[in-house]
Amino acid sequence: MRRFDYFRPKSLKEALELKKTIAGAKFISGGTDLIVQIKNRELKPSALISLRFIPELATIEINGGARIGALVTISDILQHPELGHNYPVLTEAAKSLGSVQIRNVATIGGNLCNCSPCADMALPLLVLEAKVRLQSAKASREVPISKFFKGPGESCLASNEILTDILLNPPHNKAKATFLKKGRVKVDLAIASLALLLEMEGGICRKARIAAGSVAPIPLRLSKVETLLEGAAVSEDLVSKAQHLARETVSPITDVRATEKYRRQIVGVYVKRGLEKILGQSLA
Amino acid sequence: MKNFRYIGKETSRPDAPDKAAGKAHYIHDLQRPGMLYGKIKFSDHPHARIKHIDTSKAERLSGVRAVITANNSPEVRFGFLRDNFALKKDKVRQYRDELAAVAAIDPDIAEEAIELIKVEYEPLPGLFSPHEAMKKGSPLIHETDSQGRPRTDNLVPLQYHHESGNLSAGKRAAKYMAQGEFSTPRVQQCCMGTAGCLAEFDMNSNLTIWAKTQIPFLAQRDFNRALSDMGLNDKNTRVIVPALGGGFGTGLDTHAYEYIAILLAFQTGRPVKIVYTRDEEFAYFSPRQSSTTKITQGCGQDGKLTFREVEVVQDNGAYTSWGATYPSVMMMPATSLYRVPSVYFNAQLVYTNNTYCQAMRGYGNPEHTWALESNMDELAGEAGIDPYDFRMINCNKPKETTPMGLKVSTCGLKECLQTVAKKLDWKKKSKKGKCRGKGMASLIHVGGGGRIYRSDASGLILKLDDFGNVNAYHGGVEMGQGLHSVLTLGIAEALGVRPEKVFINPLDTSTCPWDVGTHASRGAFMACNTAILAANKLRDRIFELSEELFPQEVEKNLEKFIKKNPGYKPPDFDFIKAAKRERFDLKDGSIFIKDAPREPWLSLDLGRLLRAIHFRTQGQMLATEVFYDPPNELPDFAKGFGNISSTYAYGTQGAEVEVDTETGEVKILRMVAAHDVGKVLNPPALKGQIYGALAQGIGYALYEELQSEKGKILNPNFRDYKIPTAQEMDFPVDLEFIETNDSFGPFGAKGVAEPGLVPTAPAIANAIYDAIGIRIRDLPITQEKILAALKKLKEAND
Repeated sequence: MRRFDYFRPKSLKEALELKKTIAGAKFISGGTDLIVQIKNRELKPSALISLRFIPELATIEINGGARIGALVTISDILQHPELGHNYPVLTEAAKSLGSVQIRNVATIGGNLCNCSPCADMALPLLVLEAKVRLQSAKASREVPISKFFKGPGESCLASNEILTDILLNPPHNKAKATFLKKGRVKVDLAIASLALLLEMEGGICRKARIAAGSVAPIPLRLSKVETLLEGAAVSEDLVSKAQHLARETVSPITDVRATEKYRRQIVGVYVKRGLEKILGQSLA
Repeated sequence: MKNFRYIGKETSRPDAPDKAAGKAHYIHDLQRPGMLYGKIKFSDHPHARIKHIDTSKAERLSGVRAVITANNSPEVRFGFLRDNFALKKDKVRQYRDELAAVAAIDPDIAEEAIELIKVEYEPLPGLFSPHEAMKKGSPLIHETDSQGRPRTDNLVPLQYHHESGNLSAGKRAAKYMAQGEFSTPRVQQCCMGTAGCLAEFDMNSNLTIWAKTQIPFLAQRDFNRALSDMGLNDKNTRVIVPALGGGFGTGLDTHAYEYIAILLAFQTGRPVKIVYTRDEEFAYFSPRQSSTTKITQGCGQDGKLTFREVEVVQDNGAYTSWGATYPSVMMMPATSLYRVPSVYFNAQLVYTNNTYCQAMRGYGNPEHTWALESNMDELAGEAGIDPYDFRMINCNKPKETTPMGLKVSTCGLKECLQTVAKKLDWKKKSKKGKCRGKGMASLIHVGGGGRIYRSDASGLILKLDDFGNVNAYHGGVEMGQGLHSVLTLGIAEALGVRPEKVFINPLDTSTCPWDVGTHASRGAFMACNTAILAANKLRDRIFELSEELFPQEVEKNLEKFIKKNPGYKPPDFDFIKAAKRERFDLKDGSIFIKDAPREPWLSLDLGRLLRAIHFRTQGQMLATEVFYDPPNELPDFAKGFGNISSTYAYGTQGAEVEVDTETGEVKILRMVAAHDVGKVLNPPALKGQIYGALAQGIGYALYEELQSEKGKILNPNFRDYKIPTAQEMDFPVDLEFIETNDSFGPFGAKGVAEPGLVPTAPAIANAIYDAIGIRIRDLPITQEKILAALKKLKEAND
């Protein structure tokens, strides 16, 4: 592996200062994506600035809603009692991410900042309409997660910013959400994945939030499908239309993991299965 | 049946504690004073002329001690057909061809130096499918053979052919026929320990190499030849095999990286270590060969097979390894799995610009059994016979001689089939509504050595010390499979000592006797046969010496015993007269007279007797050596005839699966595996072999494929090369071992290392067919393939 300098700042301020002064430096949290990219020579950073020694980044706070520090590991999320209770869809996604060894190291912020279309944690955050807090030396801003991703490996994060927190709204007692993921085997990157949140009232869908992974350049909200469902009674016919629309909306690619065709197919199946799972009835 | 003291009892492996504690030393852990790290520059093209290699920048990099290419180092030729070179001079024939190598003071500098090497190529048209490469007028991958004679085509000059019975009569007699073309992908062995070696010369220019090999003695021969090529005539190689993290066939050949390490070590005068990274292991190391098999079988009204016709085409890749001899093993199931009177078998191997391939567990047998056992179900379907009944009708029997001339001694196939049918509730069909189905498949494999070289032998030296310890020097390779466990048990059982008194010494060609290699499931069979021979020789010697020394020592025992127990009256037994060699026995490290009264003083600890032998005037130390060559034949593969093994292993596996018809996902609900192992030596070790093999077989069936595009490996990492993990093995596995107590087998045992993965893929494929009526003919059976086939079936039905 290529040589690089390594820094471990103790505060956000120090970290941002280092980033400003060292050309070609990258932030590192768990490193489960970054180190692989460096080894594969896709990235050649001059220095790595570790965020693991900034204590406030690794905390979870339940405050009606929730604030999850960017350096919280996926295992931390799984072990947190209230987080799982309030946002079970988050734990479903966390459980599917990598292996135990990866989950012990990988962080939620890293998973987002890597900006992979298959980022497992992005989907539940998209349907929960989470916000991310981006901090620069001078200012802090909050961005809806749906505006965060710009393309594979690209986000709205400026080079002088750090993603510090993920902010979740208080859980809605009528909302139910679920997460589905297809890999080639269980420990795998998603070849297609889906998160779905539904608020039902008297058989009518009041609110639908759907996000799909690995089927577009970014983790994608399927707004057209949401609109189709909202205000309607969920019938077999509607589900069939929703499946069709979902398949049409996404723009997957063919690669070593799966074909474009298969990914589309799975998204359709998962729209149906997600609805079935939440509504507890067969919609075949 | 004989009662065994240790054989068949659960015994922990002697190497387990060190391995569990991380104390075992693998190649990766080895360090030598002054050691350098070697790294290889591989080709950027699948087929191209090499115009120029510029190493000047790499040479100037600080910390680099040597940069070698074919232009500044001796030519070293190697390979099964000697068609490969350590470093390529004129052209590259695959992406992984070795063009240059560096030795540097640390691995990062070596890697940086490699990036500084620039190569100019003149690209040539590439051939990436054997069918394309076989066409007349295709560009030649090798213009000449190893003798320098011009070549005219891309066929590998090896012949595998068999004809027996009367094929046309067999076809006429067939009431039903089924034909299918089946293919298998290149898959990687995925050893936990990647490939690597450490080469070091002494000041006399003799070489020591720590190697990840399964053939230390054939490797010694190969490396000595390389030393001659380097101008080091009459110099010797000492091969040392440290702890290995798996072999699975990767160690059956010597490899370019080993010759490169040797060249670098010689050039620098320093020890040089080369260890592949996981990515290198995937992209630049030889996988299992891919093959296509066209098979036709026919049977009569009664379900009895009348003929079998098989054509195999195997993608050899750019060079030839021992893996090119897969058809020698394919021929075995083709001629001898189930009784079939007329057989035609032909295999052709073709050079391509794909990565060249090598041996992997099963060695052609999983490839062929995949086609054969899938086609058996197809034929059973044609004939309207239940697949289990169909197999029973054609089942092999003990003491038969098969069309290939295999002399079957014991055969537990019938029992294996019955066991699987019973445990899988075969006649009770799966619930169709849930898309569930059951399938089974069987196997035959060599179980008593496998002669593919002029000697199939193995040696053992046993050395006894003053404390009754037994030091063993054996040429077989412990690579994680548990060979040392069964060798320990075999020696303990046959000699009559406790297993913890047996010590297996590290494998070193300078101390251990010759062995052809640990392949063909022969490790335990050979090791335990040598153990029995050596133990018998030692026992004879011990009992002979006991005639004089036993009474002397026992006399002393008696005096002491009487002193301690005044008034003790010894029984009326003349132990001096009874001390005859044929009346002695040795058990649990104690020597005694078989028919003597069981008195505490009337037996001797082995260590005490050995000390008595050692320290008397003109004393002696006991050691013995044996060499065992099993009773089998080197077949004539061009004629397809010969008894390759002294006994054969059989087995049947069954699976019940559930298919998700919306996603194509296959879930295995349960598996049953019944194997004729002759005799169980160490139950947990044997179970480990079969569980591991099943996981590998499931990977082969459902997930694994080394994907490539125009010769370039597309998924050279575990991110995209998927093998099953514990989460895929989440179903019950019911194992049953059929003990046929083979007369050639040590303690009755047959080889078991490979059989566990041979029938797994067709068993699963047959279950999938039973569940959804879809037959996939190219492995792996991915969820995508199933979904596409279901769609096609639906369209056809609509």
